[in-house]
Amino acid sequence: MDDYHVTADDIFWKISRATVSRDQYTVINRTSSSVTFLNIPLINVLLTCNIRMFGQINRSVYGIRIISGLPPEKPENLSCIVNEEKKMMCQWDLGRETHLETNYTLKSEWATEKFEDCKAKRDTPTSCTVNYPPVYFVNIEVWVEAENALGKVASDHINFDPIDKVKFNPPHILSVNNSKELSSILKLTWSDSRFRSFITLKYDIQYRTKDASTWNQVPPEDTSSTRSSFTVQDLKPFTEYVFRIRCMKEDGKGFWSDWSEEASGITYEDRPSKAPSFWYKIEPSHAHGTRSVQLKWKTLPPFEANGKILDYEVTLTRWKSRLQNYTVQDTKLTVNLTNDRYVATLTARNTVGRSDASVLTIPAWDFQATHPVTDLKAFPKDNVLWVEWTAPSEPVNRYILEWCVLSDKSPCIPDWQQEDGTVHRTYLRGNLVESKCYLITVTPVYADGPGSPEHIKAYLKQAAPSKGPTVRTKKVGKNEAVLEWDQLPVDVQNGFIRNYTIFYRTVIGNETAVNVDSSHTEYTLSSLTSDTLYMVRMAAYTDEGGKDGPEFTFTTPKFAQGEIEAIVVPVCLAFLLTTLLGVLFCFNKRDLIKKHIWPNVPDPSKSHIAQWSPHTPPRHFNSKDQMYPDGNFTDVSVVEIEANDKKPFPEDLKSLDLFKKEKVNTEGHSSGIGGSSCMSSSRPSISSSDENESAQNTSSTVQYSTVVHSGYRHQVPSVQVFSRSESTQPLLDSEERPEDLQLVDNVDGSDGILPRQRYFKQNCSQHETSPDISHFERSQQVSSVNEEDFVRLKQQQISDHISQPYGSGKMKMFQEVPAVDAFGPGIEGQVERFETVGMEAVVDEGMPKSYLPQTVRRGGYMPQ
Amino acid sequence: MDLRAGDSWGMLACLCTVLWQVPAVPALNRTGDPGPGPSIQKTYDLTRYLEHQLRSLAGTYLNYLGPPFNEPDFNPPRLGVETLPKATVNLEVWRSLNDKLRLTQNYEAYSHLLCYLRGLNRQAATAELRRSLAHFCTSLQGLLGSIAGVMAALGYPLPQPLPGTEPTWAPGPAHSDFLQKMDDFWLLKELQTWLWRSAKDFNRLKKKMQPPATAVTLHLEARGF
Repeated sequence: MDDYHVTADDIFWKISRATVSRDQYTVINRTSSSVTFLNIPLINVLLTCNIRMFGQINRSVYGIRIISGLPPEKPENLSCIVNEEKKMMCQWDLGRETHLETNYTLKSEWATEKFEDCKAKRDTPTSCTVNYPPVYFVNIEVWVEAENALGKVASDHINFDPIDKVKFNPPHILSVNNSKELSSILKLTWSDSRFRSFITLKYDIQYRTKDASTWNQVPPEDTSSTRSSFTVQDLKPFTEYVFRIRCMKEDGKGFWSDWSEEASGITYEDRPSKAPSFWYKIEPSHAHGTRSVQLKWKTLPPFEANGKILDYEVTLTRWKSRLQNYTVQDTKLTVNLTNDRYVATLTARNTVGRSDASVLTIPAWDFQATHPVTDLKAFPKDNVLWVEWTAPSEPVNRYILEWCVLSDKSPCIPDWQQEDGTVHRTYLRGNLVESKCYLITVTPVYADGPGSPEHIKAYLKQAAPSKGPTVRTKKVGKNEAVLEWDQLPVDVQNGFIRNYTIFYRTVIGNETAVNVDSSHTEYTLSSLTSDTLYMVRMAAYTDEGGKDGPEFTFTTPKFAQGEIEAIVVPVCLAFLLTTLLGVLFCFNKRDLIKKHIWPNVPDPSKSHIAQWSPHTPPRHFNSKDQMYPDGNFTDVSVVEIEANDKKPFPEDLKSLDLFKKEKVNTEGHSSGIGGSSCMSSSRPSISSSDENESAQNTSSTVQYSTVVHSGYRHQVPSVQVFSRSESTQPLLDSEERPEDLQLVDNVDGSDGILPRQRYFKQNCSQHETSPDISHFERSQQVSSVNEEDFVRLKQQQISDHISQPYGSGKMKMFQEVPAVDAFGPGIEGQVERFETVGMEAVVDEGMPKSYLPQTVRRGGYMPQ
Repeated sequence: MDLRAGDSWGMLACLCTVLWQVPAVPALNRTGDPGPGPSIQKTYDLTRYLEHQLRSLAGTYLNYLGPPFNEPDFNPPRLGVETLPKATVNLEVWRSLNDKLRLTQNYEAYSHLLCYLRGLNRQAATAELRRSLAHFCTSLQGLLGSIAGVMAALGYPLPQPLPGTEPTWAPGPAHSDFLQKMDDFWLLKELQTWLWRSAKDFNRLKKKMQPPATAVTLHLEARGF
């Protein structure tokens, strides 16, 4: 210290490199310092003594490692066990952790001798097995000593006789023997510990049937002393039993041995304890008056058979007289019986004896089954299918339960079981399968025969259907779709279908689900959007879940069914109606229309207005006038004109008829022609007001002038044409028409002539249709003239149409014809008058050649 | 009792060894003082257990000795083993013995037999046999302690060892191998006889000493049913 010029104050302590607070320092003298730790948290720490030199240089002077821990606690709960033929093993509890290496030593001694210590191994400090074999019947004192660096402590001493801590080896079962005299016992023989000769043992015997899982216990008081065999009683006949046994000291000191290996034995046979279940089935038989009856019975379960069943005896009795006796090894017998009532009995036989008899009444063929069970229910519980019913009011001997799997693929092969008449709740003792539909039939059996069967369907355990329903559309409308599907086949249902869910969606839309009751096979989706692709699928649900079927797509149409028709048909109808109305209208107003569409337009190029002067009378009249002077030419001229018209025109009546038809077809023409002819013929009367007087004087004059007027009047509007022809007089003349009308009215007095008028109206100048040949010829003349003038007059007619009052023109045409007919017979005089006029015209015109053909025709007319 | 001390130095040595330990014997049974009954019963059980144990041990050892010793009907004359305590005794004599004498004779006999047995142990050839013999010796020593305990419980003094004997095994005069085996044979035979006799002795003593205990047992049994 002096070398470094430091004192105790310069000493400081470090523990695990951390400086210890000076509060814990104590300066002993000038060169000594001590440090005190009240609590060392760490188990293994380094303590160093340091000095500070020159006030700044630290230096470690010395260091020590401090290992801290706890002294051992007293071991508790010392106990020992001696496995037979092995050495003694003792174990104990350690107490708290010492953090130090601690040795545990098991010590044992007699009063006269110490035994070798047993040092516990490091990895098993709580137990130790001594190295010497135990000496029984001499008490030994045992204790444990725990020792580490901080101390040594011993447990409480225990003193015991090793024989009281023994766990014996398990006994060994030598045999399990049955007794022919008693079918309910088995004798168990075993060998056990060698201690049995000098100590008392007690036993624990357990047994069970081979298939059982729980053990039955032989009463302990029956096996509380050393023995080597035991007879177990109250066992079932012909049943295999399994035994096991263990032992310990009779006084209960020590430990039970392990269980022995199991050994089994079979009790001896006994006669069958119960009659077999017995039932029958009538099979269709072709022979008349007999029935094929299959009697069937169940093999007795082992606990009732009480042995190996050798055979069955069946007797059949009719009317209480013994009939037949069968010995069968199978469990069924088919017999042909008459239609009478039979009583069948059945007994089972084993090596020891016979069972009681099962009696079955087979009723006569006309027996009517009655009194069924009621409230039949079936439900699964605890993994079996329970059937429950209410007994009928009649006393029931027994019940027969039959069941089979309902399937479309395989036929119903029934299994069956019999229950006592007092039972009305049982479970089906068969290998039932989950997800299968079972059809269960319960038949009560009365003394006189079976009652009516009752049926019910049930599942042992339902599952989701294995296939979903396939949905399809039955009808797709604009906003709705009728979906339909088939009921799922029973094989894929796997349970009772409780409901369906229909999922439908558009390509982009959300899915919509609709629940449908299971009884339906059809559903109408409404509120659909038209012209949209829909995807629809369907799930069927049982109590255990559902299964989707395949997706089906359909597209709603743009229009509802009949919508197009609803639009198109009325439209068509309306159109048709309109058309019809139009046609009708047109038909009714054809004349008016005709005027508008085909007005009689006189051809201005052929207008001879320029010649319209008092000196140039109408050509037609000229031609007419020429008839008389040039009668010789008539026949020849006719032929030529017809040739121009490209229409053969024979003279006979038939060909005339044809011609008439032609005229009808070309009505417009004829009217035009008529107009023109009329015009031309009426020209004289139109041309001068003077002529009006002449027309009034003779009917024939009136007639022609009228016809001409109508045609003439057409020209009235065509003022330009008229002005071009520089003659306004004829057009103005039209105002004189009404007078003509009146005249006609006056002259015409008879209604009977009207048909003729009409005809004439249509054909204007075709009065040749009259039966009177003379009339015809005249008209022919007129028409031919008309045709000739047609082109010429056309333009005039058109303009006339526009300007002329419609009715008046028409009226005139009507009136003209009767005038012709009525006055036909006396026309000659009038004609003569015309002729004179006509003569004048021809002479004035100076164009007799051009009108020659007409004249000739007129000439044809002349004979009249 | 025909204990002829001094015939054999070895026997004396053994006896001395045993007797040297006697002062500790009274403390053998430290579980309070329930009377001599339980310890007599335990001693009886122990003799039967040792008898049982000896049966298998003797079988093994005689097989080790080989024929004719391992033959079931081998019954040689008792020669040269006079030092062995003789268990066979006249029935009249046995009946005339009192408890103290019987216990003393048992104690002394086992003390001697134990010494001989230890000598046998040292000669044994196989480890397995040695282990069995050692275990039997330990057990026999336990029996000695038990007898001492019973005697102490009954207030009898332990027989005093003869002075001047060494507590070590001293082989006797050289025998021929056959005679040595004959000694071994007789040792085991005598031991067995003694165990039979002791069982009988302790059974008698037990019955004599335990009327109250029997009554209690009967009472318990009656209650159990």
